[in-house]
Amino acid sequence: MARDNGNSNDYVRPIRRILIGGLVLFLLALFLFWRIDSPRAERLRAQITDRIVPTFDWILIPVTKAAGMIENFQSYTRIYDQNQELRRELQQMKAWKEAALQLEQQNAKLLDLNNVRLDPKLTYVTGVVLADSGSPFRQSLLLNIGQRDGIVDGWAATDGLGLVGRISGVGRNTSRVIMLSDSNSRIPVTIQPSGQRAILSGDNSVLPPIEFIESPELVRPGDRVVSSGDGGVFPADILVGHVAQDKDRRLRVRLAADYERLDFLRVLRAMPKEPLSDPGGLIGANSSAPQAAPPDADEGADG
Amino acid sequence: MAERTPTADRWVYGLAYVGLMSALTLLHIMPIEITRGALPAPDLLTSITFAWVLRRPQYVPTLLVALVFLVSDVLFMRPLGLWTALTVLAVEFLRRREANVRERTFPLEWAMVAGVLLAMTLANRLVLTVFLVNQAGLGLSILQMIITILAYPLVVLMSRFVLSVQKMTPGETDARGRPR
Repeated sequence: MARDNGNSNDYVRPIRRILIGGLVLFLLALFLFWRIDSPRAERLRAQITDRIVPTFDWILIPVTKAAGMIENFQSYTRIYDQNQELRRELQQMKAWKEAALQLEQQNAKLLDLNNVRLDPKLTYVTGVVLADSGSPFRQSLLLNIGQRDGIVDGWAATDGLGLVGRISGVGRNTSRVIMLSDSNSRIPVTIQPSGQRAILSGDNSVLPPIEFIESPELVRPGDRVVSSGDGGVFPADILVGHVAQDKDRRLRVRLAADYERLDFLRVLRAMPKEPLSDPGGLIGANSSAPQAAPPDADEGADG
Repeated sequence: MAERTPTADRWVYGLAYVGLMSALTLLHIMPIEITRGALPAPDLLTSITFAWVLRRPQYVPTLLVALVFLVSDVLFMRPLGLWTALTVLAVEFLRRREANVRERTFPLEWAMVAGVLLAMTLANRLVLTVFLVNQAGLGLSILQMIITILAYPLVVLMSRFVLSVQKMTPGETDARGRPR
């Protein structure tokens, strides 16, 4: 070309090329760092997100609310049908509520008779959803609670009814929830009533598939799916959803959490179970064990 | 001020670029539609950057592009640095061909941008596969690329008529065809 870029700046172009090359190398090194030391890189990401996103919540929250209002306004057009439907459902609910109350009383009596102690430590922290992942390839949410609220990696997040995901990445003021539908999400579940153990693995769709079922013939569409607590990461018996079958006769889960309306999430405080590492020596088998025990007990009392 | 100097323009449009990119990033991460429909949204950050670099390369310095995309990598939960590196390479490639594109018709430019996007998508997948990174289905990334390519003319129209980022005229370049 006649007007190809200049000869006069002969010395500029090589320097520019070297600088751009350096920039690209730096970015690729960053990628390698992310790949090799992923936990540290993700911590860095959480810290940066923690700095950036809360400064914009004055715009994120109002706009999100406005969009929600528009969506709700559109649903007014169907208000009559919805009203009828709600009345019917309410009637059914009343019947179920009656049954539930009776069962609850019966359950309380039985628990009392058997002296069962329930785990009293399962409390929760509620957070507002600030942002999502912004990319169609990742399904995650950013909450406005973090380290300062005592959030710890791995805790479960629910929307009050069903499981939404688990905490993965905690900053000072924010934390990220990897949703069950994310392609990196794997959750151990139990299918009731057959008691089959399986893994719920996300695949970016709203109906994540169930994998590793021992005997699928025992599982029917409509069965309840709850978290199993295997692996000690998650508290057990949180409702996940119901089994559904897709066109390829593959078993999937229709999630109980309403993924269309996630405004607030409850993060369940899961205290780690005390590990039973000591086999509990036989009486008299080891004479040193009883002597070692009392000083430990004293320290525990002091501290 | 009746006549803005090229230097002032450069600053104004540089700031406009950063503002536009920040607004789009925030729009992307807003939790409005958490479960996505069948169609992913077009990657507007990339296509706007391409449209601008093919019109006014002086408004989008490469370092600024790298910074903007690095922040979006962090916020969009993408592998850190990889898409930014590909974008920087693509922007440099396009920047060198800006003078040629100035004299060609739009379909040629569109075809070139489509080729660059295809190369970026494939390179991204290839690198992620080589490094054994867990990734979403091939269909989804190809679909997003196609939607981005289809949205490119709209991005150009908007840049041109709303933000008046047009191709440079001979009066605005020096004798060698470089921006003054």
